[in-house]
Amino acid sequence: MSFKLASSPHTRKNNKTAFVMLTVMSACIPGILTQAYFFGFGVFIQLAICMSVALFTEYACLKWRNKPIKRSLTDNSALLTGLLLAVSIPPLAPWWIGAIGTLFAIALVKQAYGGLGQNIFNPAMAAYVLLLVSFPLSMTSWLPASSLMVIDLNFYDTLSTILTGYTSQGYSLEQLRSGIDGLTMATPLDAIKTNLLAGYTYNETLSLPIFDNGIGKGWFYVSLAYLVGGLYLLKKRIIKWQIPVSFIGTLGFLTLVTQAVNADGTGSMLLHLTSGATCFAAFFILTDPVSAATTNKGRLIYGALIGFLVFIIRQFGGYPDAVAFAVLLANMTVPLIDYYTQPKVFGHGDK
Amino acid sequence: MESLLEKIKAGVLWDFPGGVHPPQRKKLSNQTEISLLPLAEHYWVPVKQHIGAVNHILVASGDKVKKGQALTAFNDKMSVPVHAPTSGTIGKIEPHVSAHPSGIPALSIQIIADGLDEWCEISPKIHFRTLPKSDVIGFIQAAGVAGLGGAAFPTHVKQTPNQPCEILLINGVECEPYITSDDRVMREHADEVIHGIEVLAYILEPKLVVIAIEDNKPEAINAMEAACAGKANFVVRVLPTKYPAGGEKQIIQVITNMEVPKGKISADIGVVSQNVGTVYAIYKAIYLGEPLIDRVVTVTGENIETAGNYRLPIGTPIAHVLNHVKHDNQHNERVIMGGPMMGFTVLNKQVPVTKITNCLLIPTQQELPDAPPEQACIRCGECADACPASLLPQQLYWHSKAKEHDKAQAYNLFDCIECGACAFVCPSDIPLVQYYRQTKAEIREANEEKIKAEKAKERFETRNARLERDKQERLDKHKRSAELRKQSLNTDQSAQDKIAAAMARAKAKKAQKNSTNDITKTDQNAEPNTLENTTLENSAVEKNAVESNISQSNSPIKNKAQEAIARAKAKREAKLNNNASTEEQNTTAPPSHKVESDLDHSPNEPVEADPIKSKAQAAIARAKAKREAKLKNADATATNSQKASASDSASQKEAEPKPENQRAATLTHDSTIDSNNDEIASTVSPIKLKAQAAIARAKAKKAAKLAEESKPAAHSSAESDKTTLEPKTAADQTDEQVDEHLQTSTTNEPTEISEAMYQTELEIDPIKSKAQAAIARAKAKRQQKMAEQASVTQPENAKAEANIQFDAEAKSRAKAAIERAKARRDQANQLAHGGETGSSSITNTTTASSLDSESGNSEDENANQVKAAKVKAALAKAKAKRQKS
Amino acid sequence: MSPLQEISWQGLWKNNPALVQMLGLCPLLAVSNTTINGLGLGLATLFVLLGSNITVSLVRNWVPNEIRIPVFVMIIAGLVTVIQLLMNAYTYALYQTLGIFIPLIVTNCAIIGRAEAFASKNNVKLAAWDGLMMGLGFLLILVALGIVREVLGNGTLFSGAHLLFGSMATHWQITLFETNETFLIAILPPGAFIALGLLIAVKNKFDKRIEALVVGEKKAKTTERARVTADNIT
Repeated sequence: MSFKLASSPHTRKNNKTAFVMLTVMSACIPGILTQAYFFGFGVFIQLAICMSVALFTEYACLKWRNKPIKRSLTDNSALLTGLLLAVSIPPLAPWWIGAIGTLFAIALVKQAYGGLGQNIFNPAMAAYVLLLVSFPLSMTSWLPASSLMVIDLNFYDTLSTILTGYTSQGYSLEQLRSGIDGLTMATPLDAIKTNLLAGYTYNETLSLPIFDNGIGKGWFYVSLAYLVGGLYLLKKRIIKWQIPVSFIGTLGFLTLVTQAVNADGTGSMLLHLTSGATCFAAFFILTDPVSAATTNKGRLIYGALIGFLVFIIRQFGGYPDAVAFAVLLANMTVPLIDYYTQPKVFGHGDK
Repeated sequence: MESLLEKIKAGVLWDFPGGVHPPQRKKLSNQTEISLLPLAEHYWVPVKQHIGAVNHILVASGDKVKKGQALTAFNDKMSVPVHAPTSGTIGKIEPHVSAHPSGIPALSIQIIADGLDEWCEISPKIHFRTLPKSDVIGFIQAAGVAGLGGAAFPTHVKQTPNQPCEILLINGVECEPYITSDDRVMREHADEVIHGIEVLAYILEPKLVVIAIEDNKPEAINAMEAACAGKANFVVRVLPTKYPAGGEKQIIQVITNMEVPKGKISADIGVVSQNVGTVYAIYKAIYLGEPLIDRVVTVTGENIETAGNYRLPIGTPIAHVLNHVKHDNQHNERVIMGGPMMGFTVLNKQVPVTKITNCLLIPTQQELPDAPPEQACIRCGECADACPASLLPQQLYWHSKAKEHDKAQAYNLFDCIECGACAFVCPSDIPLVQYYRQTKAEIREANEEKIKAEKAKERFETRNARLERDKQERLDKHKRSAELRKQSLNTDQSAQDKIAAAMARAKAKKAQKNSTNDITKTDQNAEPNTLENTTLENSAVEKNAVESNISQSNSPIKNKAQEAIARAKAKREAKLNNNASTEEQNTTAPPSHKVESDLDHSPNEPVEADPIKSKAQAAIARAKAKREAKLKNADATATNSQKASASDSASQKEAEPKPENQRAATLTHDSTIDSNNDEIASTVSPIKLKAQAAIARAKAKKAAKLAEESKPAAHSSAESDKTTLEPKTAADQTDEQVDEHLQTSTTNEPTEISEAMYQTELEIDPIKSKAQAAIARAKAKRQQKMAEQASVTQPENAKAEANIQFDAEAKSRAKAAIERAKARRDQANQLAHGGETGSSSITNTTTASSLDSESGNSEDENANQVKAAKVKAALAKAKAKRQKS
Repeated sequence: MSPLQEISWQGLWKNNPALVQMLGLCPLLAVSNTTINGLGLGLATLFVLLGSNITVSLVRNWVPNEIRIPVFVMIIAGLVTVIQLLMNAYTYALYQTLGIFIPLIVTNCAIIGRAEAFASKNNVKLAAWDGLMMGLGFLLILVALGIVREVLGNGTLFSGAHLLFGSMATHWQITLFETNETFLIAILPPGAFIALGLLIAVKNKFDKRIEALVVGEKKAKTTERARVTADNIT
């Protein structure tokens, strides 16, 4: 009788790709809930749209490529991409924004490059950039914190806005975004940029209602929630510490320096670290294993590079939030970073 | 090193990068003591259970052996013998399924146990300290001790390191899950292990002995510490549990913080490490005198109720083990030899336990589930974190998958110790180690192929160079001899005058022969071409042909001079050639044949573009006739003619033949013949004269041969013996030689005879020349063989041959061959001109007889005629082949 | 295939300057944001290509080998100047829209490439036909891209037709859908790259399908040997 033949090792650690992705998605939950608390139900609807489109697109692409569907679909990577994108776009963005973005992310950025593990660019960030460039108006129509909002939205209203562009009562998105004084609200970073360009100092900008003692209302807590989720991932050893630490460290250091040099002309370090997508990106976007560097030293360089780029674009560039562009630029340098940061192999002496 | 030793003694430990923590599952099997199983019915002992060469088997099927008797001898330094695990009879010695992942049958010795389990004679060496170290090492080797940690490296080799041993490291780490054999050995036989260490310490004289044990074996630690108590240089170090801490390189890194450099072994940095099990085996070998015939094997897995450690004899089939442990037979799908991380699945139950078997793992499906299908790599980098050798398994995976061998090697594929830590952590269930093993095998195979190809290329190039060299040498020789001939011809005025006269006559004759020569031309043109081969003779012939053609195409004044030269050449060749025939001076195929036909058929003048040659040949013919007439009056003996021919050949070699000498020589040749054959002397036509002369010569040769046979000449008797014994074979040999020579581009180094022959034959007749050359070579070869038997060296032989060039036998054979060659060619020509055959055969016999002039052996003639037929056949075959190609 | 057919096939499909040779991508991506722009530049390039091929073919035997490239470039530059002046005169608005990309036709590698690879080695008839087909191939891609980008980006088709065809074409514009927020990226260069990439993918797919069909036909052509055995004997 012949026995079954197998190759060593015959035992494996019980962490699978699907489980890893699921863990990452669950670590986003605190942030999502906080976002929903401050900015309404829009984020749930966007999640629904993006994740379903992602699944469908992945299924269609796998079928077209004649690849095994069940195995690839159940590794949760498409769902994760959809989630990341849904969280990045404004909660009241029209439904087709999420749809087009997710379609682009899965079909062109992931599957066209070869599927899971083969894409060079972070799909969620590439899709975000596409949407930002294509639909600048929709992509910058962020809501202010609900405490600041004049018109209250319930779930049904939100759904209706997303699907049709108008609430059930007929208010348009622009009207929703307007504060008491009639001016449309913006994100903290956006506000700072426009005001600084207009000539206001930073401190004057801080007097805007969207700011709350030097921090953006609502955005601060959302960032904190994502930080908590990221720390959970670190503890679970799903992600490695090098990238978040180097990213936040570099960005913090640079903003600290500029704050020290020119306190009135730039946002404070705290503001930078807690506004926009900094915390979210540090733990969830940058640590995407497929598009990030693989060696530990390389990861440090990668994180630092992105921090540097984010700082540059926020300070001098035309866009208020720069994480997506910085990530895409750094993705291009990953093969080079990997090549030059190989560890010294055992027994090879000093290299 | 001193400070390092201090640190180690103080208890400092370092760490190695990477590593994983698989579930240990040691409690399954380390609760019970080492026990024994009943004897099996038969045992299969593989002959090769070590890294090294295969040994010589000492026993044969049916022999009775005792327990511990050596079954193989160890030939060289790297091999260890195997011993019988129990007493019994030797069964089959044949390939049997091996303890290897492939299961490929390996040579094994079957021992049918007789149940008595009797020991053979054993001699303990308790007082090993009084013996020289090399002896102790020899005993260890004789006991068959190999590394029982898993690699089976011959232990005795490790005891003779190049560098002095600073640290003796005893590996009791046993990092792999499930395996507890070393644990139990240390617990139960701690003192014996220490004794074994003392043996090693005596041989190696280390400064420190470190016994490394993982912290999951507290009882073993206690036992070993108790056993080492009081020994100054023995320390027990406890390592934190991490897989693969037990790897030799990793343990050295943990204990000493030194990395074994790439391409070197641990002994090069002063560390020798041995497994605890091996040390125990050394103890048994030296203190008890018992060779390595069993080992402690952990039999474990959830499928087994009585999991534990068993002392199993080497060669126990796994079936026997399975029968005696309670296991779930129904759901038994896998048997893993080794641990879950590095063990391999065995092919079937007949696989025997060998020296490297440290564990037999029989798991259930839930315990060690089958490998899930491989998914895409998500570049998470877990594998790089786990790798103890600090490699990048991800890059190795990408390049292995893409079969980019050079890139994989650039990422240090061969530094992988195949521990399996990377594949253990991979979230996508990629069988990384399998990829690396496969790629390593492919790279090794490719390297072997490359080496083979390079060797083949070298051989090919050397051979080509050699052929070129030979060709060049021959060309040079021909050139030199041609030049010398020219020089000699130019200085000899009388010869030139005569040549001129002869040429004039020949021209006249040629005019008459125009019509018939057209037909003969084509046939005779074909002949040399069929026998054409790539040898130098051809090229030389062609070269001469070209030369003469060029010379003939020039101005009339030049032509005259060239005529004279040509005539002289022709004459000289005719004389140089012992088989002076009517076909001399074959500078170009057509002219030679025309001349031949010219001489053969006197009434017909050949139509040829080369009047000079025909004249020359006519002159030669006349010269010959004259010669024969003169010879009638001469009284030459075989020896005289021999001398003459010897001088002839000598003059040939020196390449300074003078027409007069040649004439004299030929005259002497002919005189011998004529003296024997009066009939020949009365012929009228030069052709007939020639033919008769040839016949006479043949006869003379035979006679001479007979005469010589009575002489106690060593060489000639030997030769004649050979001739008489194998007349046919000689002919056949010559045939073969001729065929060989004609069919293949020769690689034979022509002897000096052949050289001489070449020079004489070249411008005469390619067929004949080749045949003669072949014959000469055959002769030479045969003589060489005999000379070898008489222990004479080859070059001397060649010289001897040259000196006895006109030895009766040789000559007769050569003649025979030429005869045959001629006969064949003439047969071919028979189609065109029937009348020639007779003359040709006459000329054949003339040639033969010219060779035989010295021997005068009449018997040879008959033999020759028999041979002639054979030669004809062979040559015809050769021709046919030539024509085909 | 006759030489003319072969040239047509090469120029339009097999060796298309934009999709296969990927030459002249700069004007291709910059001016194909509307159909009419693409059509205008395409026509200009077509005329230049045709003219340059004819001229180069006419002088091919007299141009020394060492200086042939400068000579060709000079010819092309001359023709481009002619076209530019014509456009300046007759289609001024389009001339302004296309701006710098009209003189940049000189640097279009497709034109100098064909001059070097084909026109300098063949007679006038073939060279002319080749120029026409290559230019047509380039034009078709320009128009295709223009259509895609205009429809996605603007929701219209043939907007600005009057610039090229005169006042009679003002009502040729078709509006497919109206929206406040157009798909901006389609108008911008990144969209052009993506669209071109998708077009090349579509072409490759077609090619594979044709190949499969051809291979299938070949297989069908080879008839199977009819074996009469005990099994299938009737």
